[in-house]
Amino acid sequence: MKNRGDLPFQWRWCSVALVVVMLMWSPGCGRKTSANPPPHKKFDHPPKLVVPANGAYTGAYMEFGEREDNVSLEAIEEFEEQVGKHQAIVAFSSYWGEQHFPAEAARLVAAHGSIPLLFWSPWDWPYREDLVEVHGPDKYRLDNILAGQWDAYIDAWADDAKTLGTPLLVSLCNEANGYWFPWSATYYGGEKRLADSNPPRYAGPEFFKRVYRYVVDRVRARGATNVLWVLHLNNFSDPYAPWNAMEQYYPGDDYVDWLGLSVYGQLFPDDPKWEEFENMAETPYEEICKLSPTKPVMFAEWGVGEFPEKGSKADWISEGFEQMRTRFPRLHAAVYWHERWQNNKSMLYSNLKVNSSPAALEAYRRGIGTPYWLGNPVFR
Amino acid sequence: MSSPSGFKPVFFDRGGKRWPRARRLMVLFGLLAFLASVFFVQSLLIAPTLVLPLKLKKLKEQLRSLQKQTPAVTSAAATSDAALRSFYQSPKGARRLDALNRQLSPKPPRPPHAAREIRLGFYVGWDPASFDSLTAHADRLTHVCPEWFSLTASDGTFSGENDVALLEFMNENKQLTLLPLLSNAAGEGRVAEAVENLARATPEVQGRFVDNLKRRLGEIHAGGVLIDWQGIDPATEEELTNLLVKTADGLHDAGLQLWLQIPAGEERQVFDLTTLGDSVDFFVASLHDEASEEDTPNAIAAQNWFSSWLDAVASRGDPQQWVIGLGNYGYDWAVDSNAANRSGWQRADTISFADAMSRAAYAGEGSTESGAPEYNPSFDYTLAGVNHEVWFLDAVTFLNQARTAHAKGFNGLGISRLGTEDPQIWTALDLITPTPLSKSDLAQLSDLKTGKTITNIGEGEIVTADISPEDGRRRVELDERTSLLTTTYEKYPEYPSLYHQGAGGAHQVALTFDDGPDPTWTPKILDILRQKKVPAAFFILGQQAENYPGIVRRIVAEGHEFGSHTYTHVNLSLAGEQRTRTELNATQRLLETITGRSTTLFRPPYEADSRPSQLSEVAPLVVAQDLGYMTVMESIDPEDWERPGADVILQRVKQQRHNGSIILLHDAGGDRAQTVEALPQIIDYLRARGDQIVSLGQLLGTNRDALNPWLKAKDRSLAQVASSLGFQALHAAFGFLWAFMIVATALIVMRTLLVIVLALRQRRRSRAQIAVAGDAADPQPVSVIIAAYNEEKVIAATLRSVLDTDYAGEVEVVVINDGSKDGTGAAVRKMAEADPRLRLVEQENAGKSEALRRGVDLARHRLLVFLDADTLFQRDTLRYLVSPFADTRVGAVSGHARVGNLRSFIARCQALEYICGFNLDRRAYDAWNCITVAPGAISAVSREALQAAGGFRPETLAEDTDLTLSLHRRNYLVRYEANAIAWTEAPETIRALAKQRFRWCFGTMQCLWKHRDMLFNPKFKALGFFSLPSIWFFQIILVALTPLVDLLLLASVLLGSGRAVLPYLFTFLILDQLLAVLACVLEHEPLRRSWIMVPMRLIYRPLLSWVVWKSILSAARGVLVGWGKLERTASATVPSRA
Repeated sequence: MKNRGDLPFQWRWCSVALVVVMLMWSPGCGRKTSANPPPHKKFDHPPKLVVPANGAYTGAYMEFGEREDNVSLEAIEEFEEQVGKHQAIVAFSSYWGEQHFPAEAARLVAAHGSIPLLFWSPWDWPYREDLVEVHGPDKYRLDNILAGQWDAYIDAWADDAKTLGTPLLVSLCNEANGYWFPWSATYYGGEKRLADSNPPRYAGPEFFKRVYRYVVDRVRARGATNVLWVLHLNNFSDPYAPWNAMEQYYPGDDYVDWLGLSVYGQLFPDDPKWEEFENMAETPYEEICKLSPTKPVMFAEWGVGEFPEKGSKADWISEGFEQMRTRFPRLHAAVYWHERWQNNKSMLYSNLKVNSSPAALEAYRRGIGTPYWLGNPVFR
Repeated sequence: MSSPSGFKPVFFDRGGKRWPRARRLMVLFGLLAFLASVFFVQSLLIAPTLVLPLKLKKLKEQLRSLQKQTPAVTSAAATSDAALRSFYQSPKGARRLDALNRQLSPKPPRPPHAAREIRLGFYVGWDPASFDSLTAHADRLTHVCPEWFSLTASDGTFSGENDVALLEFMNENKQLTLLPLLSNAAGEGRVAEAVENLARATPEVQGRFVDNLKRRLGEIHAGGVLIDWQGIDPATEEELTNLLVKTADGLHDAGLQLWLQIPAGEERQVFDLTTLGDSVDFFVASLHDEASEEDTPNAIAAQNWFSSWLDAVASRGDPQQWVIGLGNYGYDWAVDSNAANRSGWQRADTISFADAMSRAAYAGEGSTESGAPEYNPSFDYTLAGVNHEVWFLDAVTFLNQARTAHAKGFNGLGISRLGTEDPQIWTALDLITPTPLSKSDLAQLSDLKTGKTITNIGEGEIVTADISPEDGRRRVELDERTSLLTTTYEKYPEYPSLYHQGAGGAHQVALTFDDGPDPTWTPKILDILRQKKVPAAFFILGQQAENYPGIVRRIVAEGHEFGSHTYTHVNLSLAGEQRTRTELNATQRLLETITGRSTTLFRPPYEADSRPSQLSEVAPLVVAQDLGYMTVMESIDPEDWERPGADVILQRVKQQRHNGSIILLHDAGGDRAQTVEALPQIIDYLRARGDQIVSLGQLLGTNRDALNPWLKAKDRSLAQVASSLGFQALHAAFGFLWAFMIVATALIVMRTLLVIVLALRQRRRSRAQIAVAGDAADPQPVSVIIAAYNEEKVIAATLRSVLDTDYAGEVEVVVINDGSKDGTGAAVRKMAEADPRLRLVEQENAGKSEALRRGVDLARHRLLVFLDADTLFQRDTLRYLVSPFADTRVGAVSGHARVGNLRSFIARCQALEYICGFNLDRRAYDAWNCITVAPGAISAVSREALQAAGGFRPETLAEDTDLTLSLHRRNYLVRYEANAIAWTEAPETIRALAKQRFRWCFGTMQCLWKHRDMLFNPKFKALGFFSLPSIWFFQIILVALTPLVDLLLLASVLLGSGRAVLPYLFTFLILDQLLAVLACVLEHEPLRRSWIMVPMRLIYRPLLSWVVWKSILSAARGVLVGWGKLERTASATVPSRA
């Protein structure tokens, strides 16, 4: 007998059936869905590297083999474990002789959470300075570049750099104010003074700047705006002459993002004198700061060899960290050159590695341990 | 109240159309089912989770019998020889074994070596061939130099090996001097800083170093140490020399020697040989590696290079202080296609002489020669499209070099190293004499016998094995001009070989999982792989796949590859050829059945090291190959099965990543929580270092369909198709039953507890009311109505029991004789004459409900009591039965029926059933006023309630249930009076019981259907939500399905996979027993009644189940089932009575 107000028969049955079915299926519902990974922090715009207001990025080149581009996670992790800090910058070379952008290495470094610093050097295999002395520049000579011979390579390189997406530092034709690299101004007119130039300008550095701008323009034209250009000069010009001074090499504010210096102590066993860090760094720092009032400064290469008879590497490193921290306020990055090599003529070794002696390693660990030295890059 | 005519009995199909329709469908379905089951039944057996095809069943039988034959021997106990012998039972295998076992003729005893004739054997602990060579040739050596100490830290500390086997051997061969190596090697390079910093360290640190060294050399009973330091900066020459002198002094104090390895090359300048010559006992010059692994292909020790080096040393030092290390190995350079590598060659692999022979045999072209100017043999070959160049040293180069050294006054020789040498160098040792060599001397070097050394060709962890040993031959000749020997290889000896492939690129790596599937871990791993979008390969055990076929199918569905890991995880090295075949075949059939694909991938359990050293490990691979498998080994083994911790597992993967490209993990065989935890970290790490995680197919340059091909249609027999369909259906059915069982258990538990709680409450309450009931001030008159049909035997006793009552009020008894054929009427009449309270009413047979209705009409009083003709009252029954009517809301009262006859087993079962079934339930229902039936055997109804409910209706066979439910409809209370006891006669035969229960069951079903709107109706509260659903589920559905469940449980237990099932079995039994015990306690029955519960479940319950099925069937048939005690077959349309 059905009364008004009773639930229809079918409804009741359906709800019961539903309950029963749900009970039956409950054992299978224990399956947990695996937790999703936290969403990747994405920027609306391409990320930009922040120059730390008070502090400096620490980085290193970590003995990446003959071509200086054999970057492996193992090598990076081993170094970081030795020095006790993650490295904000990992440096390696991109020789034009390899004819490709080191995409794998750059990706690995970026995935590891570090900024790649590429030494982009127009040089052919076997990348030996003693051969440069004998034969001079090779097919990657600056005039060839300016003539457009390597345009295709530059464009492809720029495309790959753009694909990387994240910021990368590029030191193009470093230490041009020295004499040991085939792009040194010495080989391109050097000290020849240009007519009608007042203040005086010199052929070598001028040519260098032209090529520099040419390459940077090409790369920018391909849209690789994530490249940060480092004007990377040697701490002391060699030959030490006015035509070779740092200021001669400045290509202009819009072609430079960072000012870079190579600051080395004793590198070779037959170097005449053990120079203190102060002597190697202070004056060059002041000189490069004059090139621009605002741009940040980095020691794109720094280090010293293990020559215990000549001097204390541990002290040199300690002083280096201390002075970089306290005396060079515009310095916001320092990249250590961690390598040991055998010198061809003397067969003696130059050991710049941070662990060339226990004392040196201890000094490095202590120096880098202060919070002033940032182990992770900051993006905006 | 007259009987309504034209009533429609419930389930009655007047039109008669329902059944023929249903019947036609059933016939069609039955035919199909029959055809399928003919094929199906022949394969239906064994585990309820998987139906196995006949072929597989036979294989499993074979396997079982083989398992019994093979005793469980640990791999440590079995020697390689014994294992091999037992492996090769077949004639072909025996021939193989003979070829391998051929020994050289026994060696004559050697005279003790001459003074200062040093024979130094370089030894490594990680190559079993090294140990084999050492044990075989210990009598030819004077010193043994194992890789031992490693100086790589800058604080002067060094680590050491612990090669127990070697130390034991040295202990047994005290004529040999142990001279361990102290080197600064780390991986493929040298740690210069360790030595340089030690050289520049303070005297204290150096002193500690020397003391440490002395102590540890003493611990292993060494005779001294061989220092091998390379890559040192020459700037530290002075400090290094001082350090070495100091060390030598310290060692000499302890009676130990210091030997110093001098590198052959520019590096030797770092050692001041003049000064050191006074302190160091011996210098060791390893005159090989002229071209080393890092160089481009060239001679390893060209004769002129070797000779000029000796001259240089002889001119500066005393030859007697030098041991000349002779190389006996090879380098295999492969062309490097990577343009960035300017040299064009990859880093060379170090290979043994046997490896070189295997490669040359494999290449098959040209002949290998050694002659002027290098007098080092070399050859080219191509593998997988890559060109290789091989340079090696053999017994002939050995003899050339040894004789040259001897001629220049050098008596000390080193063999670098034991394990990679040409076996003939031991013959050559005898030929180091100043006298020219004769033809017969040279002939000794020309036989190249094969041996048990396993050679490896190619890169990668996917191997195919070849054991077809053959001897070889070379021609050795003397170059008259130079007095040097030249060789031409005429036939290469063939060793047991492993061909490797699947190396992949430097940044390609594959994940593999063994021993699965496991229901706990494999799904988790599959989830992770899916989330990370990473492919993997699973090596499946047959016995696991059998139990969890669904997971196997999931593995395939999610795109992973699968391979065979044998059926029972047997150690194939000890299993024998036949067992190996059976295991593999059974596993393959099983995987085919489950997935429809077969597999060409195989991985042997236990030893999957991609470089096996035991022949007994290789022999099973040959069997696998014959069956069409590729063997997939591994070289990255974090040993996750050891459960060292997820971080250690990750660490081991990191350390071993360079070894190769296949990682071994486990998804079963124990607690794999750590593997599951480590897996995402491993994947992240591999990706961070720039690796791509690929499938095995990608490593091999093919795809999954080639490695796991679909079975072609014609391969799948009809039987297989049917069996797989049948399997799926059966699997689904069993799956449902399992789920049902779990839910049923839960519901039973809940219901049991509820019933107990309610029953206890009711008892407490009723105790309080007893006092009230007994003192009824004004006992109402009562009419007792009995409908009787052929109850001659029992009616008298019944009437007597009713009449003999202590009820204070007026009692009349009305007996309706429903047309009995026996003497029922006569018996009653006789008694009625004696007692005026008793009246007999005769009528034509019209059915029980009619009879009762008549009785109600003729009864005089308001309170009506009903009982069956075979029920006996107690004296106080009436009093108790009627007492609840003091409450005017009460419409009916149910009494407490108990079984009086306990003679037969069936009767005793019923007794227990009454106790803990009907009566306990009624107590519980009484608490919530949801009693479903006041039984006709003993009940009381008030006249007005009866009228309101419409009286007894004939539509159902259970008119008491019908009435009770109707009373509930009209909001009358239905009570239970536990003290109103009636003794009923339970059927004593199964047949009688079945008839009775069928009537009850069918009748109840009719009532439930008739009153179906009360179910889950909030208006009826407990009735709708508790007692009615209870009947539906526990008395109908569960009783119907229980035997199936019991069968499933029994089958599982008998057929082996009972372990998972036993808990449920025990739960049911325990619950039933618990209920029985509690009921007995509540009802004050002796506890021994309750022990019948277990046999009752196994025998009695199936009977009830059969009854339920019959009822259901009858309901479906829509045929009216008659009421009665005799045999009945009802006709389709007319309600018939016998």
